[in-house]
Amino acid sequence: MIHSSYKEAMMESDPALPPSLQPPPPPPTPSAEQRLHPLTLLISTIRVLRGFLIPAIFVIATGNASIAPFLLSILGLSLLNSFIRYFTFSYRIQNGELVTRQGLLSRQERNIPLHRVQDLRLEAGLLHRMLRVVDVQVETAGGKGVEAELSVLSRETAANLRHAIFSHPTHQESPSPATETPDNTLVQLGWRELILEGLTSNRAASLLVLIGAAAGFADDLIPQSTIQDWLSRLGPQAEEWLSHNHQLQWKPILLLAAILTLASVAFSIAGSIILFHNFTLKRRGNDLFRTYGLLTRRTSNLPRHRIQLLVVEEPLVRRVLKLARIRADTATQRSNNQEEQKGGRDVLVPLARKSNLPLLLPELSNDLHPLPRHWTQVAPCAVSRANKKSTLAILSLTIILAAGPLQFISTIPPLHAFWLLTLIPITRWINRRAYQHLGFADTQSAFHTRRGWLNRITHSVPVRNLQVVTLHQNPWDRHHDVYTLRIDTAGQSYAGHAPMLRNIPAHTASSLAASLAQRASQTRYQT
Amino acid sequence: MSEHPIEHPPRQTATPFPIPPLDHYHALDPNVIWLWRLSSTINWLVLLTLLLAAAIGLGGFLWHQLIPSLCLWTALLLFACFWIAYYPRRAHAAWGYRLNDTVLEIRKGVWFQVIQLLPLSRLQHVDLERGPLERSLNLASLTLYTAGTQEAAITLPGLHHATAAALRDTLVIQGGDDGV
Repeated sequence: MIHSSYKEAMMESDPALPPSLQPPPPPPTPSAEQRLHPLTLLISTIRVLRGFLIPAIFVIATGNASIAPFLLSILGLSLLNSFIRYFTFSYRIQNGELVTRQGLLSRQERNIPLHRVQDLRLEAGLLHRMLRVVDVQVETAGGKGVEAELSVLSRETAANLRHAIFSHPTHQESPSPATETPDNTLVQLGWRELILEGLTSNRAASLLVLIGAAAGFADDLIPQSTIQDWLSRLGPQAEEWLSHNHQLQWKPILLLAAILTLASVAFSIAGSIILFHNFTLKRRGNDLFRTYGLLTRRTSNLPRHRIQLLVVEEPLVRRVLKLARIRADTATQRSNNQEEQKGGRDVLVPLARKSNLPLLLPELSNDLHPLPRHWTQVAPCAVSRANKKSTLAILSLTIILAAGPLQFISTIPPLHAFWLLTLIPITRWINRRAYQHLGFADTQSAFHTRRGWLNRITHSVPVRNLQVVTLHQNPWDRHHDVYTLRIDTAGQSYAGHAPMLRNIPAHTASSLAASLAQRASQTRYQT
Repeated sequence: MSEHPIEHPPRQTATPFPIPPLDHYHALDPNVIWLWRLSSTINWLVLLTLLLAAAIGLGGFLWHQLIPSLCLWTALLLFACFWIAYYPRRAHAAWGYRLNDTVLEIRKGVWFQVIQLLPLSRLQHVDLERGPLERSLNLASLTLYTAGTQEAAITLPGLHHATAAALRDTLVIQGGDDGV
């Protein structure tokens, strides 16, 4: 657990969490033109310079000065651009809209209706925190990513802006003033949880990618002569090692694997701590607030009714430890998922105990109350169809390997290919096990699907956020008299795709689809 | 939240289940068969002309390949004729839509059948489109937009122009209570 004094200090210094004790600051006077904080100039200069760090190092390292004038002129232009941006940028709140205006030659004015603001994110890196400023990003429903970026504002201005946006009368279902509804902390991650998060997340894989990329980069960057120099120094040992290697030596390989594994685990834990340090998810009225980060503190708030789709993921390791991860989609479509992952925005709750889910999920969305008790399985033909598919795949692979059209590239003796056939009973067993956890549940207010054998995943769609219900039937489905049910929702950036379930008996599928559409049509969709 | 009560029971105007046979649906305008025939004739003509040119060009170099490729081309031509004559009728028979006061249901697909249910309150906007061929056959197609992702645009082609306009007005009025 975190020491409470430290925690308090963090929260106090945290602009992101609106002050819960002090009354909210007065909203800025409507239609008053506001400007960015003057420190924007400093921060954008540093940002531009940081972007030129690697090219500069490259120039110095290679001694290749011919591109230096070119780089310098780009640097100058970038600086000029960011200065122009600062001096021409202004914003105001007017008639229920956030109006931003920028541009020197072509002036651009953007009006964002306040009631369409989905998410207001505050982000403060180390430098920002020292200077007591924050980056503010505004996202809207149906928008593609960040609609307006106010970079940077002072903490107080950002708090004012947030208050102005979320307490504006046009902002439907807005939270009541902070003084009336107390904050309810839903999730708080301490050191123990963060270490668990790191251990059980697949951030380790990204280390391997990083190493690979670095190796590739180094290969390009380091002159061939240097590598040969190193090799010649290593010469005797390397030769010896290589000569021993005629018989495969397991020891160094195992050692290397162990080191890599340990390094990736350490990397993963460190990543988890840096990203999600002091993670809190709070609920105030109808809004969810998240604050997290060791170096860069991030805050975002998400009105609860804007959750389009909730996904509970239980990868194998987490399932064993009875842990889960929760993702939530808003109606914003994001193009750069990599960036979102780096900022930890793709997960709503990075780590939740499974035993807490029945309490936590209804807090995230009223529509998830009650949680499903009974799951309906799909038609039993799902197992036999999966069996046929996997058997067919294995048989054709076996035939291809055994019959030998691939002999010239594969070193496997043809008869050994028949060992593949032992996979058939295994896949049949897996298919049967997977079927046990495959199904759907329909509470009145939400529709849930679940699937997965080792890695389980549960999708929940509040009926009010369901867009279109689709039934598909291909000729083989028709033979089995089943349908594939698909539910379309808005956004779908983090969840990956909409809930989909194959092999639902035709009668069940059609009545389910019609009932879902009927109920959806009686609710009002609010982006 | 109060306006979306969980205990709210579905209204009893629900679509009857199981889905009744196709004659309960509105069919598309029969003229659409000719529209599809025309457009697929154009597509096939382009493809077949290109293939014929390729076959003759190839035959110029490898003359013994000319006869087989022309045979293949003729087979393809026969298939195209069959396809143009047969498929649009089947597709027309498979297409259907029906509307109660809350849900629009569209079904389509000859071999790969699809049934789409669109709750009217999810309708964002409706486009009515008429291409030159459609205009000549007095047809129109409607495109219905939702806030969804994969099925954000649902198309209902081959409606009689007047039907399409009337349907659009109905949809807009019934789906018009949305606050988005």
